[in-house]
Amino acid sequence: MAAKTWRKKTWRNLHAGVGLAALASLSGIALAQAQEAFNWKQFDGQTITFLSSNHPWPTALNEFLPEFTAKTGIKLKFDTYNEEQMRQRLTTVLQTRSSDVDLFMTLPTREGQQYRASGWYADLKPMLDDKKLTAPDYNYGDFSPVLVKLSTMDAQTVGIPLNIEGPVVYYRKDLFEACNVPFPATLEDLPATAEKLKACKPGITPFVSRGLKGAAYSTLNPVFFNSGGSYEDPAKGFLCNDNGIKALDLYTSMLIKYGPPGVSNYTFYQITELIGQGRAFMALESSNEFGKLTSFEGRQKDIDVKLVPPGRDTGITKPSVISWHIAIPASSQKKGPAWYFIQWATSAEMEARLALKGVAPPRKSIGEDPKFKAWLSEYPNRTNWMGAILQLGSIGSSFVTPKTTRTPEAVDILGESISRVLTKDADVKTAACEADTKLKALNQ
Amino acid sequence: MSAAVERAPVSAAVAGTGSKPTQKPPQLMWMAAPSLIFVALMVAVPLGYAIWFSLSDFRMGNAVTKFIGLSNYTRMVADPLFWNGLKITVLLYVLAIVLQLVLGLYLGLLMNRVTVLKQLVRTILISPFLMPPVVIGMMWIVILDPSLGAANYLLELMHLPPSDWLASTQLVLPVVALIDTWQWTPFVALLVLGGLQTLPTNVYEAAQIDGVSRGKIFLHITLPLLGPTLVTAAILRSVDLLRFFDLIYITTQGGPGNASRTLNIYSYQRGIEFLDMGYASAMMLTLTTIILGFVFVLTNLKKAVSW
Repeated sequence: MAAKTWRKKTWRNLHAGVGLAALASLSGIALAQAQEAFNWKQFDGQTITFLSSNHPWPTALNEFLPEFTAKTGIKLKFDTYNEEQMRQRLTTVLQTRSSDVDLFMTLPTREGQQYRASGWYADLKPMLDDKKLTAPDYNYGDFSPVLVKLSTMDAQTVGIPLNIEGPVVYYRKDLFEACNVPFPATLEDLPATAEKLKACKPGITPFVSRGLKGAAYSTLNPVFFNSGGSYEDPAKGFLCNDNGIKALDLYTSMLIKYGPPGVSNYTFYQITELIGQGRAFMALESSNEFGKLTSFEGRQKDIDVKLVPPGRDTGITKPSVISWHIAIPASSQKKGPAWYFIQWATSAEMEARLALKGVAPPRKSIGEDPKFKAWLSEYPNRTNWMGAILQLGSIGSSFVTPKTTRTPEAVDILGESISRVLTKDADVKTAACEADTKLKALNQ
Repeated sequence: MSAAVERAPVSAAVAGTGSKPTQKPPQLMWMAAPSLIFVALMVAVPLGYAIWFSLSDFRMGNAVTKFIGLSNYTRMVADPLFWNGLKITVLLYVLAIVLQLVLGLYLGLLMNRVTVLKQLVRTILISPFLMPPVVIGMMWIVILDPSLGAANYLLELMHLPPSDWLASTQLVLPVVALIDTWQWTPFVALLVLGGLQTLPTNVYEAAQIDGVSRGKIFLHITLPLLGPTLVTAAILRSVDLLRFFDLIYITTQGGPGNASRTLNIYSYQRGIEFLDMGYASAMMLTLTTIILGFVFVLTNLKKAVSW
C-alpha cells in the first residue's frame, strides 16, 4: 500500500516536474523569442551625447562602448568632466532647455529634489513600461529597493542606479595584527585604538578622513547616524543636540589628534594616496575607492573593509548610502536612443562585467553571478568589501542632509561646521549650533 | 573720420596736377560698422543680461523670475561672506602685485644682461605662464601636500619643521600669491625687458660721462623711464589678480574654511553651485566695477609717469 502511494506520489511529482520544466522552457523560449523580437536597431544611425563625471563607473564602462554601437547602431559622444565642472555645464544646459545633452550622471541625494522641482528630469517610467522600448530581460525589479526609492519622486522614475556607495572604514589588517590592536568595537573606542596605533608605529598616521569643506559631510554622516543623529526632524535639531555635538566632536577630534597635517584640505584624493602608500592605519572613505586602494603596490591583500563601528550607547549601525544614477534631461530630443543606452549600460550583463572592475553593483542578482563570486573569493578583503556594500543597501540611510531643495547649500553648511572646528575658527558647540540655524533657514 | 579728413589735402596735392581738384575722397568708415556693432553687442548683451539678473531674484530652476530692485545689493552689504571675499581679494592682490612687479623688474634687468644663450634662457623663463592653470594647480597640490609632498620632505632634510602650506589658514594666501608669482613674474619680466630695450641710450651715456653711480642710474634714470612699462604690467596683472579664480579653485576651493575664498570664488559658488544667479550677478557686477576703478586709477597713473 505504502509502495503504491509512494509510486503514485512519485508519478504525480514527475508529472508536476515535467509540467514545470515544460512551462519553464516555454517561458524561456518565449523570453528568447521576445528578445529576438525586440528591435535593438530601432534608432540605428542616431548620435547621443552623454555628460558624465570622472567617476569609476564611466571609467570602467569606457572600454565596452564600441559594443553598444555595434548592437544598436547608435553613436555615443562621451563628454567627461570633473564632478563640479560637469554640474556647471549641466545646469546651464538644463536651465536653457538645450537639447545638447541626452544623458547625464546625477546624484539624487544631492541635486534630486532641486532638479525634480525644476522639471529637469525626464520621467523614465513610461519608457520602462513600454514593451517596444524596453527589452524583456531588462528586469527593473532587480535593482536594490533602497536605490529605486532614491530615484522615485512623485511616482516618477528620474534615473536608473549605476552603483551603490557609502563611507566605510579601510584599515591595514596586517599592521593592526602586528601592533596587536583589535579593530574598534564601538565608535567610542576609536580614540583609544588610534592612541595605541600611534604608540606602536609613530611614523604612520592612525586615522584619516575628509576635512575639505565641500566633501567632509559625507564621511561625517555615518559617525553622526551611529551617534544617534538624524536629519529628519528639524524640531529636534540636526547637529545642535547631544548626539550631533558628540558626533562632530568625535569626528573632528579624531582628525585633529590622529589625522595627517593639513587634513582640513583632505578629500578622497589625498586619503587614498595616504593609505595606499602605506602611511595610514585607518581611513574613513567611500566604498568606491576599494578598487583604487587595492591597486596600490602591496595593498591588494592587506587592506580590509568594515562599516563604521556602532555607537556604544546607541548600538546603532546606520551607514549613509548614496548612488549615482543616469538620467535623461526633459529637454532631450533623443530620449529613445538615450533610453537604449541606459538599458544597455545598466543591464545585468553589463553590471556583472563592471563589478569585476570594482564598481559596486546596484542589482541584487549580480551577487549570484558566478564570475563575480569567483572574483570576490580571490581575496578575503573583496568578500568583506561586498559584505559592507550589501549592508549599505540593507541598513543604510539615504537621508544624508536635511530635506530641502537647496541641498548643495546644506552640504556646504554641514561641511563648514567641520571646517570651522578643524581650523579652530569655532568650538564644536558653536559650529554645530550655528550650522543648525543656517540649515533651518534654508526652508524658510 | 579724422583720418579721412587729414588725408584730403594729400589727395588733393597728389591730384593737384590739374585734372579734378575738388573731388572728395570716398567715406569708408561704414565698412567698419559690422565689426563695431558685433563688438558692441558682444559687450552690451551679456552686461545688460547680468544687470537684469542682479536686479531680479533669478535662481536657476525657478519657473518665475521677479524684479526685486536693489535687494541683491542690500543683501550683499549685509553679507559677512561678501566682505570676507572682498578682503581676501584685495589682500591677495596687494601681496601678489608687489611681489610680481619687484621680482619681474629684477628678472627683466637680469635678462637684459644675459648675452649667452639668450633665446634659450628667455624660453625657459617664460614657460611657467604658458602652462595651463589646471596643470599648475595640480602640480603645486602634489608638491605642497603636508604629508606626501616634496616641500615638507625638503624641509625635513634641512632639519626644519614641516608646514601645512595650503592647509593653513595663516599661510594659504601667501602661498597662493607665491604660486601666482612663480607663474606670472616672467611675464612682467618680459614686459620690463621690452621696455628696457626701448630706453634712450644718450641719457645713460650722459650719466656715465658725469660719473653717476650704477645705483643712482637705476634709481634716477632706469626706474622713472620704465614707469609706463611697469604701470602697463600692473594694469594687466591687476585685471587678472582681482578676478583670481582658477588656481584657488583647483588648489583650495576657497579653504581651509573661508581663508582663500575670494569674491570671485564666492560668487561662483553662489551662482553655479547654489544656482542663486541673481545674487551672484550683483556680486560680479560689483567686482567688475572695482576692477574698472583700479584700471582707471592705473591708467591715469600711466599718463602721469609717461615721458
